Parts: sequence; C-alpha cells; structure tokens
Amino acid sequence: MKFCNIQILYKNIHLLFLTLHLLFYGFSSPIITASLKKIKIMKKTIFTFFIFIVALSSVYAEKGIDFSHNYAAGGKLMMCVDSSAKNVYYNNIFPNQPHTSFNYLPEVSNLSIKIYFRKDDNIQHYRYTILIDDKPMVVNQSFKNKQMKDIKMPELFKFTELGVFSIKGKIITTLVYSIEKPLAIEKSVFYGKSIPKAKIKGFGIRDVSKKGVEYNWLNDPKEKTNLPLTKKTDEIIIVKDRSDFDYLYYVSIRDKQTNKTIFESTAWQYSGIVEAHEFLPYLEIDKNIFKKSGDYDIIIQPFIKNNKSPKDIKKYTTIYTLSISLDEENYTKKELLTSTLITAFSIGLAFLVILYFIKKRNKKKMAEKERQKTTSKLQLNSIRSQLNPHFLFNALSGIQNLINKNEIDNANQYLSKFARLTRNVLDDRELISLPQEKTLLEDYLQMEQLRFGFKYELNCSENLDLANIEIPSMLLQPFVENAVKHGISQKATDGEINITFEKQINNLVLSVTDNGNGFDTEKKNSGLGLQLSNSRINLLNNVYKENRFTLAIQSNAKGTIINLTLIDWL
Amino acid sequence: MKAILIDDEVFNLENLRTLLEKHCPQVKLMATAQNVNDAVNAIEKYLPDLVFLDIQMGEQTGFDVLKLVATRNFEVIFVTAYDQYGIQAVKFAALDYILKPIDIEELKNAVNKAHHKSAIQIKSSQLDFLLQQLKKPQTNITKIALQMQSEIRYVSLSEIIRCEADNTYTHFLLSGNEKILVSKSLKEYADLLQPNGFLRTHQSHLVNPKYVKSWLKEDGGMLLLTTGEKIPISKPNKDIVKQALRQF
Repeated sequence: MKFCNIQILYKNIHLLFLTLHLLFYGFSSPIITASLKKIKIMKKTIFTFFIFIVALSSVYAEKGIDFSHNYAAGGKLMMCVDSSAKNVYYNNIFPNQPHTSFNYLPEVSNLSIKIYFRKDDNIQHYRYTILIDDKPMVVNQSFKNKQMKDIKMPELFKFTELGVFSIKGKIITTLVYSIEKPLAIEKSVFYGKSIPKAKIKGFGIRDVSKKGVEYNWLNDPKEKTNLPLTKKTDEIIIVKDRSDFDYLYYVSIRDKQTNKTIFESTAWQYSGIVEAHEFLPYLEIDKNIFKKSGDYDIIIQPFIKNNKSPKDIKKYTTIYTLSISLDEENYTKKELLTSTLITAFSIGLAFLVILYFIKKRNKKKMAEKERQKTTSKLQLNSIRSQLNPHFLFNALSGIQNLINKNEIDNANQYLSKFARLTRNVLDDRELISLPQEKTLLEDYLQMEQLRFGFKYELNCSENLDLANIEIPSMLLQPFVENAVKHGISQKATDGEINITFEKQINNLVLSVTDNGNGFDTEKKNSGLGLQLSNSRINLLNNVYKENRFTLAIQSNAKGTIINLTLIDWL
Repeated sequence: MKAILIDDEVFNLENLRTLLEKHCPQVKLMATAQNVNDAVNAIEKYLPDLVFLDIQMGEQTGFDVLKLVATRNFEVIFVTAYDQYGIQAVKFAALDYILKPIDIEELKNAVNKAHHKSAIQIKSSQLDFLLQQLKKPQTNITKIALQMQSEIRYVSLSEIIRCEADNTYTHFLLSGNEKILVSKSLKEYADLLQPNGFLRTHQSHLVNPKYVKSWLKEDGGMLLLTTGEKIPISKPNKDIVKQALRQF
C-alpha cells in the first residue's frame, strides 16, 4: 500500500494549513471526513499527498504556463496551469471513488502534468495511460530512467513531465499503476469544461405490499412537484440525467419548514433505469426521512470543495421542490415528546377550564339558590305584612267605637293590645317564640272578641318546652283569622275557637279548630287568607329545606280543623 | 235625609251612628242592618235617601245588597276597612266611600255631597255601572265614570287619549277631540288608570299608549301623539315610559 512518500516543501502559505494536516503517510484525514459530513464514506485510510514546490529554478515559460506553481493533481501527479488561470479546483476526491482525483479547471487553457517518484519507487514498474475525451493518447506507457530529472525538496525525487496539454473544453484522464499492483490504478481527471447543472429525469415512488414491489414514476418533473406518499411507500427514487462524472454531484434534501438539511448522498446507483441504452444514475431515499407533510428542496450540487468551493456555486446548483404529503405523519422523538407534552398540557388546561366553569356554575347555582332563598324570605316578609290590613282597620274601628262610646278604660286596654299586636306584626323577626305567638294570638282573639263575642281556648301540651321553641312569626294568625272571619263570625256568642300547640314525636303540631259552618276545602278560591297561607307555607318550605311544613284542613258543616305540622321541628 | 246603616259588625254600626248623631245632624237614621237580607228589606221599607254600605259583610258584600234592591234611587256611601278590589270598582264608578276607622271630616264631606246631589237617576246609573264593572274580572275594566259638573260620563278607556292636570281638576282629552273637565286630581286617575296601561309621562300628564305615535328626542324627550300633540316626558319617568312603550 505504499505509494509515495514525498517530503513536502511548504512555502506557499495559503495551503499551509491543509498541507500540515496531510503531512504524514497513512494519515486518516479528519478534515476530509469532516468536510464530507454525513456522507458515508468507506472508513478506509485515504492516502494522498500534496506537493508544493515553489521556486523551482527551472522555470521556463511555455504556453503561458506558470511552472513556479505546482498543484497536487492526485496520486503521484502534479500540475502547472496558465499563469492567468484563476479558479483552480485541484485534487478533489469523492466518496466511494478510491484512487480518483478530480481537477476542475474551467478557466485553464493549457496545463503541464508531471509525475514524481520517490527514491525507492521502482520507476520501471509504473505504467501510465492518457486519454483525451475518452480517446487514448498514450496507453500503458512505461517510464524510462533517462527521462527522469532529479529534484531535492529536500528528499530526493525523480520527476518527469507527462506532457503539456490544451485542456479547454476537454477532459483529460490519466491512469497510473504499478505492474506490481495492477488493480491499484491511480486515476486523475483534468476537467476543462464547465460542470453542467444536473437535471432530474424523474421521481419514483416504491410501494411495498404483500403482492410485491410497485414503482410509480413521475418523469421530467417540474420545479415544484407534488408527491403523495402512502403507508405502503418505502422509498423515493431520484433519477438524474447522465453526465461525464455522476459522482461529482451530491444530493441534499432540505426541509423548507425548518430549513434543515435532512439528507445528503452521492450514492448514485446504476441499474434498471436506462435511457438510450445507458444506465441513468439514481438515488434511493428512505421515505422515513420525511417526517411530515410539507415542502422539501431537492438540491443537486457538484462536490467541489477540496481547496475551495466555487463562489458561483449557484450556477451549478439544481433545486427541485417536492411537496410531500403523507397519509400518516411520522414524528421524531422530540416532536412526539413535545406533542405529548402539549397534549397533556392542553388536556390539563381544558380540565382546569372545565373545573373552573363547573365551579363557577356551582357558585352561580349556589348564588341562585341563595337568591331564591332571599327572595322567598322577602316574599315571606311581604306576605306577613299583607296578612292583616282588613283586621287592622277593623280593630281600629272597634277602638274608635269604644272611644265614641266613652268606654275609656276599654279603649285603652284594646289600644294597647292593638299596639302589641301591631308591633309583633311589624317586627321583622323571622322567628318568634311560642309564648310570644301565644300572646299574639290571644291579643288578636281578644280584639276580635270585641267585634264578634265568641269564646276561645288556647292550650299547649305540657311536654312542650314553650320558651325555647321558636316558630316563624305570624304562622298561625291567618288561620285563626280565618276561623274568626269565616268560621264563627256568624255564630256570635255561640262561636268557639280552640287552638292547641302539641308535640308529636319530633313534630310540632299547631291546630286551630272552630265550630263554624265550614267551607269547601276543594274550592281553590277559598279566601285570600288561605291562599296567602298556602303560598307562605310553600315559601317556608323553600327557606327551611330540612324541616317540612305540612298543612291539613278538615272542614264540614260542624266546623273546621286546621293542622299545621312542623316536621322534625323539636 | 233618611239614612240606613248597613254593616255586619255591631260595633261598627254603633260607631257610625254615634258619629253621625254628633257630626251630621241632617242625617236621620231610619234603620241599621247586619246582613244582606235585612239590608234589602230595610231599604225597601224605608226608601232612604242615603245608605251607608259596608263592602265586606262576612261571606257577602254590600254590592249584593245593591244587586237585590229593586230601585236604587238613593245615594250610597261605601264604608270599608280594607278592600282594594271593591274600592277600585267604586272609584271607577266615581262613587263616594269612606274608610274605617272613620275620619270625621271625610264623613261630613261625603254626607254633604250626598245631600247636594240632586238627580237621583244619575246615582242610579252610577250604581248600575258599578255592578256591571264588578261582574268583570278586575283587569278587564274597560270603562270609567267621569264626574262632570252636572252629569256623569261613562267613557271607555280606549277613548281616552290623554289626561292633563289642572290644579285639583283634570282635563280628559277624548277621541273625537272632545274635552272633559273633571273635578278630581290627576293623581287619582293616574292611580286608577296606570294599572290599565296608561303612562304617567309627566307630573301633569297621563297618556294612553294606544295614541302614542312616536318618541321625539327634542327637548330631552317628547311623545308625539296621533293627534299631533307633543307631550313632555319628565326625566325621572323616562326609563319607565320607554320600557312601557317597548312592551306595548
């Protein structure tokens, strides 16, 4: 594997950096691997050398060639070009192209190619071939010692010129090998033309199913092409046009959304796809590199970047845009993680929002309930004060009568009863103790006695802890008023009213009995007082949810019994 | 003046009698009655000039007495402790009433008024009107009696375009461009007619929404009536009027 070992003179500073790294034999070039980035290259040691010989005294001008400036041209070759030539891209090497050096000389007219042998090279074993545009000019020519010149730089080399060639518009290829290793042919290409832009001849989609493999082709695509990929698709194929050296071109794919290059390759293959009896180069791309639907740029550029890349690289660049549509999106781990997080977050957020709204609604409901309760209370209050105007004015009228009859003591007595009664009515207390209610009823009944002269009794069962029991104020009064008004008012002194407060288990039972003529309990319009009492009981049931108020009325021609039960009140 | 007192409660009868004897000597009490039957009999027997009639009489009402008497050629002064419905009807019929406990001045006024009333048939027609009104549900009152100087006009509510205050008098503007002056304050009519949809646009204006053509923005809000008249709307009433008109 030993080709050459030439000690390098490096006076030319602009190549110092590169040459320094390539000083040693058997050097595995990190620079090159780095520059090749993701392109898989054979991890084979690359042997190369650069020669820089400056200030060769034997400078002679020939066809404008600057012989003071030697470029490495691959293998043992060096070259000198026109002194006027600017862009010299020398010694480019390519993945999967061993022993091949590509010299791109678009502005060079003439060049001199020389070969350098080390002291221990067996010059007689070397053969060389020169082809111009595929036409062999020299074939398997051997070197003669007498042609060799010596040069010390500082190790002693022998060199000879293979010739001076006009290169403009031509491709010169040299092949050099030793008969000791006839397969290790060092190939150098001198490219005197402009590298043409690549053209995509077609895109292929390979679908794999149980039935087998199926290709769909899209020929001569436009600059923007839609490419629908299905679940079955496993590969996309890019077919390039034929060129002198396909390996020059590398394909990169850029995701236009993220502007990231997701794929690079020079792995052109030749089989199957034929045009004019020749294989077209194609490239296989795993479908899975396309994670998402969207636009992708297919960029094809020459891989010229050894010493420098052409500034006008765009001139050589072909860009096609593929609109990929996937029927199911692929996601990277990161994307999956992100989307999972986002989903989890959204769900969490939605949950929180829902929770918030439920809470809000509950709050609203509670507020509504509270409001209803308040309204009920207000209504209760208003009903409470509505219960008695008729009575009030009649009572006042009765007192007026006493005054007018000069019954001053009586008038006083009734006036104070009336005042106490009114105070109890006006008092906005919700609850009133049983003794208070008792007093209220007695006051009321006595006032009514003034008008109608009936009898009444008010009894409390002994097992009631009167003083400590409270009931909604004015609860019984309307029923008593009804008993007076509709029950016994016609009977005058024969009338009787019985009121009892009783304990039945945990219930408080308040009953009012009269011996009046009774009324039809089925009739709905059975007096304003009763209506009001009914609606009041409904409202009370709204306010005191845990205790129920039930009203039972029995009425016949012999009288009326009203039972008002306060369930679980005690 | 021959008078009969009708009330179901003895002490009320006593009270009224005491007051009449003391303050209204021109009233000659002929009889008292505590129920409808007795009342009808007493009226037919004594043919009184004046009847004091309690509205609430136990299970019955004073109106029942009126329904049952054959000739209603007497003045009626209604007496009631508290009776919104009955009083409302009485007011619509432009009849007199006093409230219990009895205010002596009110009693004297009512008696004096009754004393000076001449045309008995007018009274009778008012009572007819009252009884008619009472047959209908409260909300369906369609007519109102307007007491003019020498006559009573029964006007359907839809005829009234608007009312305007004039001190203690009220001008009624009726469709057909008729104007009536009534010797009661606008406040009383506002109380009567507002439940029937009339709009108190202003302290001295009561308007039937039926005759409102449009709302003018000039001068801070005016109502243009179909008659072409512009009725001012006072600031505090603006919202209420607006809302009422929207519902109308």
